Amino acid sequence: MPVSRTLKSLGATLAILVVLVYLGYLIVYAAYAVNLFQWPFDYDQGEGFELYDAILYSQGEWPYQDNSTFPFYASNYPPLFHLLIVPLLPILGPRLVAGRLVSFAATLITGGAIFAIVRRKSACPEQGRRGGWLIPLVSGLAYLASNYVYQIGPLCRMHMTMVMFETLAIAFIAEFEHPRHGRRNLILGLLMLLCAGYTKQMAVFTVAAALSYIFLRDIKKALIAGAALAVTAGAIFWLLNTATEGQWWINIIQANVNKFDYRQTVFLFGQWFRLHTVFILLAAGYLVYELFWDRLSAYSLWFLFSLGAGALSGKWGAGFGYFTTAIAAACLTSGLALSRLQNTARRTPHALRILIPLLYLLQAPRMLHLPTSGPLFGPLARALGVDDALIQGDCATFQYHDAMGYTQLGHLLTADDYTAGEDILDYVRTADGPVLSEEAMFSLLAGNPVVTNPTQLLNLYNNDLLDTTEIIERINRQEFGLIIFRAQFYPQPVLEAIGQNYQPVDHVCMNGFYYHILWPQRVLDDTSAQPDQ
Amino acid sequence: MITKRQLGFAVVALGLLVIGATVGVDFIGAGRWSGFGPLQRIGIGLSLPTIVAGCILIRLGNRPA
Repeated sequence: MPVSRTLKSLGATLAILVVLVYLGYLIVYAAYAVNLFQWPFDYDQGEGFELYDAILYSQGEWPYQDNSTFPFYASNYPPLFHLLIVPLLPILGPRLVAGRLVSFAATLITGGAIFAIVRRKSACPEQGRRGGWLIPLVSGLAYLASNYVYQIGPLCRMHMTMVMFETLAIAFIAEFEHPRHGRRNLILGLLMLLCAGYTKQMAVFTVAAALSYIFLRDIKKALIAGAALAVTAGAIFWLLNTATEGQWWINIIQANVNKFDYRQTVFLFGQWFRLHTVFILLAAGYLVYELFWDRLSAYSLWFLFSLGAGALSGKWGAGFGYFTTAIAAACLTSGLALSRLQNTARRTPHALRILIPLLYLLQAPRMLHLPTSGPLFGPLARALGVDDALIQGDCATFQYHDAMGYTQLGHLLTADDYTAGEDILDYVRTADGPVLSEEAMFSLLAGNPVVTNPTQLLNLYNNDLLDTTEIIERINRQEFGLIIFRAQFYPQPVLEAIGQNYQPVDHVCMNGFYYHILWPQRVLDDTSAQPDQ
Repeated sequence: MITKRQLGFAVVALGLLVIGATVGVDFIGAGRWSGFGPLQRIGIGLSLPTIVAGCILIRLGNRPA
């Protein structure tokens, strides 16, 4: 008895420690999100364009336009995330915080859904046991503790909203055979899949997982559900394409055919595995168990199919964000695996009470990320031995540690960044003509029109879908009063025309990147002529 | 309802399809590398365990998948 009591106490202590560690990650995430909510400029290139899409919708305009004519702008994403931002615009104004709040809330809902699913599925009614708290709670918190979710979660980007819809879809589809609510669950699941797909095209892998699950259990229902989803999604697709005179097809489908580098995919698979090892091994083990010894669940199939999204991460413009669905699936399925283990291993309950928290504690430091300065995080970083960790940007060093190594995201913004942003904004406000910028927020904050979406122009140019005649003519006439480069993602002929007609006048370091400010040659000629007059 | 056996046949077919495509690209001259390229090695590395898993599933008979 004393040994049993000691083991029970040890298990309880470890469980409390685990919850504290994962709650700590939640605090780090919340601190980063609050820091970003205050930042008015693009933190990640593309955020401002997502906001601009929402602004266009609020004005009753489509963001799917002809890129060959002024303002040379189009979105390459479906509309749902932008439409979710629209109701917040009258309250928060045309500010990035509107989109960042939507995305952040989506990650919290996803974490909450993982918690609810694991708690519900880990209940063992035949033994009179309810679901317990530790495994469901840590499964939900683990999703928010992932380095990838942390970095992308509070950005004005649509990816995490897609993962939210995917998680909800799988939760409903998994219960499509429910004796009382089966039909309702199936319809809601299909609706969530539709929402996920019209948030971001990547949801196609989750659609495949969900329909495969239904097919395994009920072929007729799978065919009907698949046909219903295809007809509905197809009808919306056709309406959008008709309403935009074919620009939807060009910008959403054709522009997204990009070069693929398998080495990037292999690298990211390795990094994803290294950061989330315990969750992935548990989820993979559960998949194998269900495949050979039990029936395949919707969750295991989702985990398997989500690897397909990860395989596309080598596409130009893709990255580690393509693994966030797989992370949600791994957190969920690993929780189910441990719950299953707990429910079946009746002879060794005390061993599991220690083993399960130990597994979570083993995993926790693998994802370590936190700011390494400040009154709270400075001492914590010192205690963890990462206080000297730095992230080196192009022109600044950030006091931030991340187990994934170099990363452009995740650090907190400094007073210097705010000053630099205002400096660039001054250039925009005094520009003599429209501004060609690789980030939309400078134009939006200055009340100027947003001109060009450079990566979209490059995508189209690389696929022989862009006529650069008009934009090059305007550059040659030096109609743009200012050009702001960050990554120079414009098509090569556009860059060459800019090089012949514009001159760099300043290089401003903001958020770790150099922003190159270029003036038209005519302005520089006027400026140099002024002293003689 | 699909059985383990039926799923097994589908999985084996998928594995064979991947192998066929992996080897077949050389016959149509696709790909950037001469000889057996890294993507082909990855394809073979994924398809062989898939075929093994499919064969095991076939042996599991008519249990629900």
